[in-house]
Amino acid sequence: MASRIIAVNRDTHPGIFPIVYGMWLTLRNMFETLFVKGRSATIEYPEKKRNISGRYRGIHLLTAREDGTPKCVACYMCATVCPAECIYIESGERPEKKIEKYPTRFEIDLLRCVYCGFCVDACPEEAILMSRENDLVGTSRAELIMDRDQLMNRGKLAEVGRGYHPTDHDVRRPVRIAALERLKSEHGIVPGMPKRS
Amino acid sequence: MPKCTIDGKEIEVAPGTSVIQAAEQAGVRVPRFCYHDDLPVDGNCRMCMVEIEKFPKLQIACGTTVSEGMVVRTQVTSEKAKVAQRDTLEFLLVNHPIDCPVCDQAGECYLQDQYMENGLHDSRTVLEDKIQKRKVVDLGPIMLDAERCVVCSRCIRYEREVTKTNLLEFVNRGGSTQISTYNGGPITHEYAGNLADVCPVGALLSSDFRFKMRVWFLKETDSVCPGCSTGCNITIDHRDCEAYRFRPRRNVEVNKSWLCDPGRRLYQTIAADRVTTPHRKGGAVAAPSVLLDEVVAKLRAAGQSSAFLASPRASNEDAFTFKKLAEGLGGRLDFRVGNPQDKVKVRKDQILQREDRHANTQGLLDLGLGVTGVETLLNDCKAGKVEALFLQDGAMLEDPGVLDAAQHVAYVVALATHQGPHLAAAHAVIPAAMWAETDGTFTNYDQRVQRFKRAFDAPGDAKPGWEVALDLLARLGKPMNAATAGDVFVLIAAETKAYADLTHRSLGSLGRAVGDPAKTPATA
Repeated sequence: MASRIIAVNRDTHPGIFPIVYGMWLTLRNMFETLFVKGRSATIEYPEKKRNISGRYRGIHLLTAREDGTPKCVACYMCATVCPAECIYIESGERPEKKIEKYPTRFEIDLLRCVYCGFCVDACPEEAILMSRENDLVGTSRAELIMDRDQLMNRGKLAEVGRGYHPTDHDVRRPVRIAALERLKSEHGIVPGMPKRS
Repeated sequence: MPKCTIDGKEIEVAPGTSVIQAAEQAGVRVPRFCYHDDLPVDGNCRMCMVEIEKFPKLQIACGTTVSEGMVVRTQVTSEKAKVAQRDTLEFLLVNHPIDCPVCDQAGECYLQDQYMENGLHDSRTVLEDKIQKRKVVDLGPIMLDAERCVVCSRCIRYEREVTKTNLLEFVNRGGSTQISTYNGGPITHEYAGNLADVCPVGALLSSDFRFKMRVWFLKETDSVCPGCSTGCNITIDHRDCEAYRFRPRRNVEVNKSWLCDPGRRLYQTIAADRVTTPHRKGGAVAAPSVLLDEVVAKLRAAGQSSAFLASPRASNEDAFTFKKLAEGLGGRLDFRVGNPQDKVKVRKDQILQREDRHANTQGLLDLGLGVTGVETLLNDCKAGKVEALFLQDGAMLEDPGVLDAAQHVAYVVALATHQGPHLAAAHAVIPAAMWAETDGTFTNYDQRVQRFKRAFDAPGDAKPGWEVALDLLARLGKPMNAATAGDVFVLIAAETKAYADLTHRSLGSLGRAVGDPAKTPATA
């Protein structure tokens, strides 16, 4: 609400009117929030939830291939880029020679995570995405370290919906453009097809 | 000594130096795939193109010898060379599968490095059009992925020139050229690990290290392989107090760029079954200071009827402080089990390994630890003349002769790194750090004193041998003026003629040979 500056002359005697006006405002708001639909500033959480942006960075999820195995190839890019160092991966061998590698363990410590979304940006396979889920509740710390299977089968996903994922805006393009700019300005290298002299 | 100019910098190089080596000396790294410092030049990858004045065309830096007055312009100053290198790289990447996310070489790959340096072009090949080759071929200690290969023939030349086994060869022609063993058989020799190091890309990878760790997480520490008396220079790659692999560190005088597979596997011993707490016979854990006081009391009571058996696996620092401890009590002192000193210089094969499987037999000989002869010492034990026996390495109890002798002694103390049933014969076990967990020096067969550095902490209460010995000496009332391994080495240099004037720092990363070069033949 836009603010107004009111000059107050303290020598006057305004009488009862300002008090009545103030109380009327308060009471009006009170009754409006109680009885007028859509006027309320609060919601009945957790029965009702706020409508959250589609790019919201909530609790992670791991995507699956068509056969149900993780899309992740255990390249450790997310673990490398993670500023909170909350991702732990162990890798194993897949029978398919085209894929070779998959995570035998993939754990995210949600209590250490800062929800920056760098892991989603770094992933070359679109294997790790974020959901819009933001109510992180547990009875112990160990419970909030999510393992691979929990991350792949996120029960609430259908309810809360998918959050931040790289196709929202092409995150790699600006990064690459910035890298090329830096190469040009700092090293004088202009990549691309070499110019023939 | 021909003089040449590289990128405007004039340098003088030894006759016969190639342009690529001269550029390295001038501080310019010319990109390369097939050139390797310790392999014969092949010149097939065409990556190291440089512009040389008065040559009509670009020349390969690895195959051109520097001559007097040569003026070389590398990719740093020559646009022509840069464009040529970028074109070569593009050709090499035409059929590359670009599976860096799953490739273990990522992070130490020449293709990646050079693409990031001067490539950065978009591929003109559709991924589906690329030539498919064999992937995930198990060659025993090595995994072959022919799609990633840049056909540089480094591995083939290594097999031909170093191991002389000729197990790898090119098959097929043109774009389908790939390396292969005969009928896809395994690589059988004991130097297979070097193939993974020699390979500039991810075509040959170590089966043992496969998928264990991404290399950019690993920290490097210079060290020396403790596997035999050759003393190959290595780099320990480690993360969070855990060693993941050993890589050879180039030292032309000792191991060139090679390391044997038994040596490589030694990284596994660092984490396995370590002794972490001091304990008495039967496994009762004792506080470190309590147990050390107890040991000192027993040794003092034994006095001259104590005996000290040093280990040829110990570093010079460990051995020297151990000797001082023995001298402080007037006890008997010797080292070795069997006769490693006879085998120090004996080759096991024609490449690196030697028959003596201890790292520092020569060092202990130099320090004068062979006093009475180990047989006399053990016979004294059996005859009941010894009241307290101090073993520098608990593993010596695995030897039946030592075990028999120890059973005749009233009090046996062992510094031990690894657990095992043999330790039951010791009355007091003091946990010891391994060589990777402390600073120190080994002297190899060639009397070359080489330094290794501490990579990470020892587990639990384990302390380096020299630290334990210094502690015991202090408790005996005979403290030494040393607080670090470097301090101990200064004391060694002051007392040992052969090591005079040496310090840890002056040894450098490649060590110093102190022996008489006429008597000791250099490595072939």
